[in-house]
Amino acid sequence: MIELTEITKAYQTRSGSNVVLDRISFSFPPRTNFGILGKNGSGKSTLLRVIAGTEQPDSGQVHWGGLVSWPIGFSGGFNGSLSGEENCRFVARIYGADIDEVVGFTMEFAELGEYFHMPVRTYSSGMRARLAFGVSMAIQFDVYLVDEVTAVGDANFQRKCRNAFEARSDRSSVIIVSHQMTTVRNYCERCAVLRHGKLLVFDSVEAASKEYDAA
Amino acid sequence: MRGALTQMHVVFAVLLRETKTRFGDNQLGYLWAFLEQGLMIGMFAGFFTVFGRVTPPGMSMIAFLTTGIVPFWLFRSTCGRCMSAVESNKGLLFYPQVRPLDLVIARAVLEAVTYLGVMALFMGGLALYEGPPHIESLLRTFMGLGLASGLGASLGLVCCSISVFTPTFERLFPSVLRMIFWFSAALHPVETLPKTMHDIIILNPVAHAIELVRSGWFPGYDAHSAEPLYVLGWILVLSFFGLSIERMARRRLELT
Repeated sequence: MIELTEITKAYQTRSGSNVVLDRISFSFPPRTNFGILGKNGSGKSTLLRVIAGTEQPDSGQVHWGGLVSWPIGFSGGFNGSLSGEENCRFVARIYGADIDEVVGFTMEFAELGEYFHMPVRTYSSGMRARLAFGVSMAIQFDVYLVDEVTAVGDANFQRKCRNAFEARSDRSSVIIVSHQMTTVRNYCERCAVLRHGKLLVFDSVEAASKEYDAA
Repeated sequence: MRGALTQMHVVFAVLLRETKTRFGDNQLGYLWAFLEQGLMIGMFAGFFTVFGRVTPPGMSMIAFLTTGIVPFWLFRSTCGRCMSAVESNKGLLFYPQVRPLDLVIARAVLEAVTYLGVMALFMGGLALYEGPPHIESLLRTFMGLGLASGLGASLGLVCCSISVFTPTFERLFPSVLRMIFWFSAALHPVETLPKTMHDIIILNPVAHAIELVRSGWFPGYDAHSAEPLYVLGWILVLSFFGLSIERMARRRLELT
């Protein structure tokens, strides 16, 4: 559904140009939960932002065959002086979704209680992440892009996220980037490792796990 | 690719969000916009009265100053707000369909509505006090205000994109804007200025916009140097330039 063609992205550092994504071409299998493993600084978040269309590659193209989410799991994207509810309304508006539905779903899903009506800057990072997850789940995406799901909430909330993804697995899939094998094992059917700007794709999560642990 | 409809959704959503955050958490924020302008007009009115300056015949001092100061501030405030649009809303660029240009447009619209409100309130208040004004051409006044707003937005877009590359720019430019005030004929009719001064000020597109506002409002006001097409030319050139660097800035923006 999502197709990457010759994606290249480099950042300028003091010691010259650091190539994070090096001519990556890959076609994500449709309706398959896919994991991308990478160590810290391997460029996995950059790759996810390029897939989302949030960031533009230096060269190469991304082709989307459906509605793709923004990179979920970050704390950005919310305005600190607005309440959780107001931020929900904003997201609903820019996606042209039904505002009341999105607000209702998020309120239920994120379990923020009274905080839902308080400024986001009063939230803990866990609460922000729960809000981010809630809003994104309220909108029907074909592909959900998730950055480091392990950082989100307690075991209970994680179970809830997994159930929500499973419940819509006939329509939607997930692409997760993480540095933790367990996350990928829990969610994904297929997996790739991002290293030195190249994407090494494996047929099974186990094969990827071996390769990832070896490095 | 995204359609015009998505962009409208985005601009509208950002606009609503900005109305709530324009003056921080302060509920009385919009009052400040009125107070600021009122104070400035009052200050210059007091100053000119003490020094015995006379306005052109048939115009009250307050009305004359309002038609100069409010359009200028519409320009200045639009430019300043648009310049910082990306810096203060960086988080929103995480959503792929939100682009720097949308943030700039939303802010420009909000400033235009705010200052139109200020203008209407002052002119309305004045009409109650001095009796109904004889307006030459309301359309011309609106054209002047529209051009002032367009100038602010297009210059703001240029500045916004430049400050992505050089952040210090954002701190330096407000003093430039402040200086432009003295070359905008906000306090004097352009045609009454000495020749050399007149020739300098007439280069400034903001002065043209202000003169248009005045000649629309006051019957018989001589603004024969004011040329709407000149201002429009500036807006087009600035927009073209601004949009080109916005494209480069979009690549350059790093979201963390």
